[in-house]
Amino acid sequence: MERQIINKRKRVFSLQPNKNPKALFARRYVSHLVPALKKINMKKSSSKTNHPSFEKTVKHEVDMAFALSAQEFAWSRFLLQKLLSSVHDDPVRTSSSPSEILERSSKKQGGGKHQDRDEEEGGEIKKRLKELQKLLPGGEEMNMEEILSEIGSYIVCLELQMIVLKSIVQDNIS
Amino acid sequence: MLEGLVSQESLSLNSMDMSVLERLKWVQQQQQQLQQVVYQSSNNSHELLQILQFHGSNNDDLLQSSFSPFQMLGSGFGPNYNIGFGPPHEAMDECISRTSSCHMEPVDTIEVLLKTGEENRAIALKNKRNPEVKTRGEEKTEKKIKVEAETESSMKGKSNMRNTEASSDTSKETSKKASEIQKLDYIHVRARRGQATDRHSLAERARREKISKKMKYLQDIVPGCNKVTGKAGMLDEIINYVQCLQRQVEFLSMKLAVLNPELELAVEDVSVKQFQAYFTNVVASKQSIMVDVPLFPLDQQGSLDLSAINPNQTTSIEAPSASWETQSQSLYNTSSLGFQY
Repeated sequence: MERQIINKRKRVFSLQPNKNPKALFARRYVSHLVPALKKINMKKSSSKTNHPSFEKTVKHEVDMAFALSAQEFAWSRFLLQKLLSSVHDDPVRTSSSPSEILERSSKKQGGGKHQDRDEEEGGEIKKRLKELQKLLPGGEEMNMEEILSEIGSYIVCLELQMIVLKSIVQDNIS
Repeated sequence: MLEGLVSQESLSLNSMDMSVLERLKWVQQQQQQLQQVVYQSSNNSHELLQILQFHGSNNDDLLQSSFSPFQMLGSGFGPNYNIGFGPPHEAMDECISRTSSCHMEPVDTIEVLLKTGEENRAIALKNKRNPEVKTRGEEKTEKKIKVEAETESSMKGKSNMRNTEASSDTSKETSKKASEIQKLDYIHVRARRGQATDRHSLAERARREKISKKMKYLQDIVPGCNKVTGKAGMLDEIINYVQCLQRQVEFLSMKLAVLNPELELAVEDVSVKQFQAYFTNVVASKQSIMVDVPLFPLDQQGSLDLSAINPNQTTSIEAPSASWETQSQSLYNTSSLGFQY
């Protein structure tokens, strides 16, 4: 039975290298994360569990896997740099603290001073872009256009990462 | 029809000889016959010939150099030449723009000649006619952004230069949008009626178009962006979504840390489940990811039938990944998502 299944598998091997970026990312992510987790596991079993630092280590590994699996993007390079430099210090949480959604700024209408609607809109947009800058690793050093292009890939990779993590967790719950 | 025109031009260009002058004289003698023939010919050629006629009716000395292409064109259509100042401006302009939209190589030279002819005509016109006649400069200020082109902004400066030269002698714009100009590797920016056509605003307009293109791409990625309009709202949604995703990753990693002691990780298992997870996520709406963090959509696997794959078998790592990828390849290919830049 197993033999049959193995043979079935062999029939559907792809001969070409996998060019799909999503599958590529997911596969790389898994290949980075799982061994790292195993290592952590082994280390942990040998020493005592120190809960907060353990969490941090796992988080760190998660972020590292994330950054390593998406080498072609600017934000991944920034993330990698940040992670590597912060290894020497305490591992820094790269995700922003759960903050509220950006509050809309009240439109500035000072006494007698009427700004153009475009100006106000531009100001609001700029505010939001700044927020976006904070969210994106390396966003501080990018200009507005770059941010928009990097955000797209960042979001997709985040989603993929989520899927992988969920499947790992689910795997171990069931 | 234009393709036929171009090929004729190319042919005639190659055979350009002393016959030009002879033709010139011959054509000038046949003013009356032209009119009839012109009206008999097709619409496009009619308009094209109107240019020629119009052109021919101007000062011949001035236009001698640029005369030849028109000669060629005229010869292609027979003895059709001078008629008069009849043609409406729009027809002419459309005609010119149509000829200039030809994609073939020989048209380059013809277009250049046409342009110089136009400029000369414009100068001549100014003396004679209403200054509101649409000249080539005005027409050249109208370009188009090639959305599908992989254009380089560095080339744009070059095209802008040409346009600003031409627009130096433009008066007020009176025409509607012309059709496309030559497809070069430029970012073609279309200036709408009444808008500034100087270099900076063109550059800014190109930049804005780029930004809006990216925003559209983001709109496809981020769920729920379709209902919101305007940049600010969309950026809001995007920020919200990114924050949400990051929070979820944090939560999941924490959970992983908690569960880690009990992990029985095997790469094969993970990749298989991954495929299942992705498949179900694609099927289910994305909202479920955001809303049900503790609830795993993996529970809904009704549509997926992977019974052939036994997750507990000890095959090599390559096998499941490869098969998973081939199976999922069709899925990925059908979905329009990808990294576009």
